Amino acid sequence: MAETAIKLGGKRKPNLLDELREMLPQGNLNLCLTCGLCSSGCPSSSFDDMDPRKFLRMLSLGMDEEILASRWPWFCSMCQRCSRVCPMQIDIPQMIYKLRQKVPRSERPKGILHSCDAALANESLSAMGTSPEDFEWIVNDVLEETQTDQPEFKDLEAPLDKEGAHFLVNQNSREPMTEPDEMVPLWKILHQVGASWTYPKTAWAAENYCLFMADDEGWEHITRKAAEVTDKLGCKIFLNTE
Amino acid sequence: MNDRAATYIEYAQAVPLAYAIDMDACVGCGLCENMCLAGAVAYDDKVRQTDVQVGSIILAPGTKPFDPAGLDHLGYGKFANVVTSDGFERILSAGGPYYGHIMRPLDRAEPKSIAWLQCIGSRDTNQCGNGYCSSVCCMYATKEAMIAKEHIHGDLDAVVFNMDMRTYGKDYEKYFMRARDKEGVRYVKARVHTIDENHETGDLSVRYVDEEGKVCVDEFSMVVLSVGLTIPEDATRLADRLGVELNKYKYAKIDPLAPVETNQPGIYVCGVFQGPKDIPESVTEASAAACLAGADLSAARGTDVETIVLPEQKEVAHQEPRIGVFVCNCGINIGGVVDVPAVQEYAGTLDNVVFTDSNLFTCSQDTQEKIKEMIIEQGLNRVVVASCSPKTHEGMFMETLEACGLNRYLFEMANIRNQNSWIHSKTPDTATEKAKDLVRAAVARARTLKAMEEKRIPVNQKALVVGGGVAGMTAALNLERQGFPVVLLEKTDSLGGLARRLHHTIEGADVQAFVAKLVADVSGAEKIEVLLGAEVVGFGGYQGNFTTEVAVGGDKRSIDHGAIVVATGAVEYEPTEYLFGDDERVITQLDLSDRIAEKGVADVDTVVMIQCVGSRNDEMQECSRICCQNAVKNALAIKEQSPDTQVFVLYRDIRTYGQMEDYYREAREKDVIFIRFKEEEPPIVEKSGDGLVVRVKDHILGQQVAIEADLVTLSAGLRAADTETLCRTMKLNTNLENYFMEAHVKLRPVDMPGAGIFLCGTAHGPKLITETLAQAQAAASRATTFLAKPEIKLSAITAKVDTDHCVKCLTCVRNCPFDVPVFDNNEKLIKIDEAMCHGCGVCACVCPRQTIQLGFYEDDQLISKVDGLLAEKTG
Repeated sequence: MAETAIKLGGKRKPNLLDELREMLPQGNLNLCLTCGLCSSGCPSSSFDDMDPRKFLRMLSLGMDEEILASRWPWFCSMCQRCSRVCPMQIDIPQMIYKLRQKVPRSERPKGILHSCDAALANESLSAMGTSPEDFEWIVNDVLEETQTDQPEFKDLEAPLDKEGAHFLVNQNSREPMTEPDEMVPLWKILHQVGASWTYPKTAWAAENYCLFMADDEGWEHITRKAAEVTDKLGCKIFLNTE
Repeated sequence: MNDRAATYIEYAQAVPLAYAIDMDACVGCGLCENMCLAGAVAYDDKVRQTDVQVGSIILAPGTKPFDPAGLDHLGYGKFANVVTSDGFERILSAGGPYYGHIMRPLDRAEPKSIAWLQCIGSRDTNQCGNGYCSSVCCMYATKEAMIAKEHIHGDLDAVVFNMDMRTYGKDYEKYFMRARDKEGVRYVKARVHTIDENHETGDLSVRYVDEEGKVCVDEFSMVVLSVGLTIPEDATRLADRLGVELNKYKYAKIDPLAPVETNQPGIYVCGVFQGPKDIPESVTEASAAACLAGADLSAARGTDVETIVLPEQKEVAHQEPRIGVFVCNCGINIGGVVDVPAVQEYAGTLDNVVFTDSNLFTCSQDTQEKIKEMIIEQGLNRVVVASCSPKTHEGMFMETLEACGLNRYLFEMANIRNQNSWIHSKTPDTATEKAKDLVRAAVARARTLKAMEEKRIPVNQKALVVGGGVAGMTAALNLERQGFPVVLLEKTDSLGGLARRLHHTIEGADVQAFVAKLVADVSGAEKIEVLLGAEVVGFGGYQGNFTTEVAVGGDKRSIDHGAIVVATGAVEYEPTEYLFGDDERVITQLDLSDRIAEKGVADVDTVVMIQCVGSRNDEMQECSRICCQNAVKNALAIKEQSPDTQVFVLYRDIRTYGQMEDYYREAREKDVIFIRFKEEEPPIVEKSGDGLVVRVKDHILGQQVAIEADLVTLSAGLRAADTETLCRTMKLNTNLENYFMEAHVKLRPVDMPGAGIFLCGTAHGPKLITETLAQAQAAASRATTFLAKPEIKLSAITAKVDTDHCVKCLTCVRNCPFDVPVFDNNEKLIKIDEAMCHGCGVCACVCPRQTIQLGFYEDDQLISKVDGLLAEKTG
């Protein structure tokens, strides 16, 4: 940040803060007590020498250009640890979400953008582009291997598209693609407690980069597809493992 | 903190000190009823309804600490070493679970570091819904931190995590500074998000972002949650039954200009039920409520009275002294350092000591009963209590003596706490030896004590009120309503005082209309005589019988009266800082409120307010209490008139205590920007071209801010109104800041040290009009208690001249700070009026012929004490 003083004065003019607070359901951003509870709990505090309190303060002081130029909003993990404890109930994650939307879609961070686009391009909704056929093959392969190598789990199941299962379980694509054995512990737990469950063959990918991209349509598409497959298979509970 | 049996005593000093059954914990076995030798357990006792006919009701249902169990990020209830502040008070208490030794609950280890987290259950509209500030937590956390540092051997790291330190009360800032600068309590401007437990050590890690924005994770042995005040449910049910309206926070709904009155005529409130507050203000309000309740009943005063009849006093003059010595443990205050049994045993070896005992708390009610029993059973004719300071407890012990026929002056105290265990806590062996020395000295003096008689004098039932502001007028009106005639003095030519410059309270109440009505009421009151342009020029007499000389427009008048209410007010500080006086755009908050009311601020683009001008600095250490709310009030008024006018408030700590926090929130909601500066980095105001520029560092971004301001408003603090002359004339005491001093901060907050003299309003210290009104009613109430008695008993501790040996050198006349000794020209003798004598003993000390003796402190009594102190230990 430059050493020059922040210049204030004159009649108050509408600014970015006004625009944002119009969009937020509750929590006037200027209610901030500058207590720092948000920043104390934020996993992204100190990245780029920034934290939620500083960010909000820049908005309060009308530093709109600096805010719009900052890449800090993309560090937010949307965990909501800040808004849960904020004594003034300021909805910081929602504010961040709205700020992300102010960036043209094509200019948003490439990693998130490509992951979102990739998910929207396949039936698995996988950000890594894993097809339903590949997923099915990997699951069955890992299952067989476990049944063989670990006789005590010879009855282990990893059903796909099993109609009428109680739980519909989804799966982050990273495991089947890079660490397939990491899927097994959850299977074992579900097996051990005798849960009735299934993976879907489509819309099985648990990650939702469109949410982090602040892409409302993409987010809705992914969520809707997951809900539809749950209904189609007649499952009672959608178990999001993300 | 839960280790309590189903039968318990509330706390060691409870009145009455009796066991109760905790019905939530009781299993109903009935064992206690069967076992009780006294047959005192009525196991089947039920709630009974009784009808009582009353003329007025005072609601004082108190408060309940906030329960932080629902705040999952703090780990309360999950980690044993996270305790609430009321839990920590139990840990500090001698009667608590660890007998006053500071230990943490998990492993009973002495903590090496303790963190206090402020504002738990306060100033939070999200998780708990208590948007108000609880007003007391900053002070009690500071107190707890200081006590903990004192009790824990070795260096305790005590840290108070806070948003704003709100030490706004009289002399509180000095206390805060002492904690910070002398005792090393650390104050960190941060709030902790998550507490985690180290499973191996039981220590707690706290994560926070410091003022520079750095993420810190610190470990503490213990965490104390400074929980706020809430209204208990049974109090809201009670209010509901009585039809008393409550506000959104369940506090009694009150008019800021009628602070202890509810919507129901004849029902009054005081204490936290009226709003969050500390003990001095609760006690003050209690007197205020009593004043109004009493005024409703003044016609019935004196009826339905039960008089305590004291037994006839035993003649002890010709008896050999039979001394009883009672040694106090004071919980662990004394017993934790001094070997009390050894001191008791030693006392028993001293001449004339026929009985000794030791007690956990000698001041408790059951010990008084025990002392009475022993006086009678053992035929004691002198009593020595080795405990604390006579300043707080001597009177009570003297009453115990009187209640069983022993003259109250046959009593002596040895202060083995304040003068011994507290200061020698690191060397218990020498402290025990010193305690023995002090007891030996006290016993030596006790042998020489004599019974003394207290004189009774009549009381003149007229009151004099000095100062015609809101405080003085309110006190006068309430005294009049109680039936007493009042003379009200005002030095200027009109009534109203500083309130004449106030427009509205922060709640929006119209001060001008109120003052006008008050002036009309006072002027129309039959029994109030108002003297304008009046100044006190002479003062004499004594409690119940004062004579005040008043100069009124060239004339002198002499007024006889029984009591005085001092209400001389305060004035706004005239700044020398920030170009004040040099640039007309730099004004004070009072000027700004005039401007808002008269001319408006629609043409003003930007206003910058600077807080703590003339307060909280080297010259004036104290906080002026009213300025933060004043700034918020004016900021809101500006935003009301002109929403686009920018308002910046540069502050050190925002102290909108109690329910005024709502207005601070409203100000932020309306885009008033608050910037905190450090004492050592104050803002700079400079002229720049045609305008003014205020430079300050933003506390969050750490960046310099330059604000172009059309108006710079200084929150100038208050200063005691020129009290020096009155102090001299009326012999009154002031504190360092020239505000008049009360007799005792908590126990007698509106009494002055001199009997029959009471105090209210800003003459006592900065306060709001609402607080002034309650205090004025309280002063009237205390004065009423005094005036309602037709006669009073005087202390026998007065000076007497042996006229046979007096050489009339006039040394006493010259040295008495109260001008009591006089040379009587007719009888050619020095006379000391015992009703006027304050018993200070100056004359007895300075008399070159030693012909003056002070009762209870006669020369031989003091010499015996010194001899006793210096005598070799026997036994």
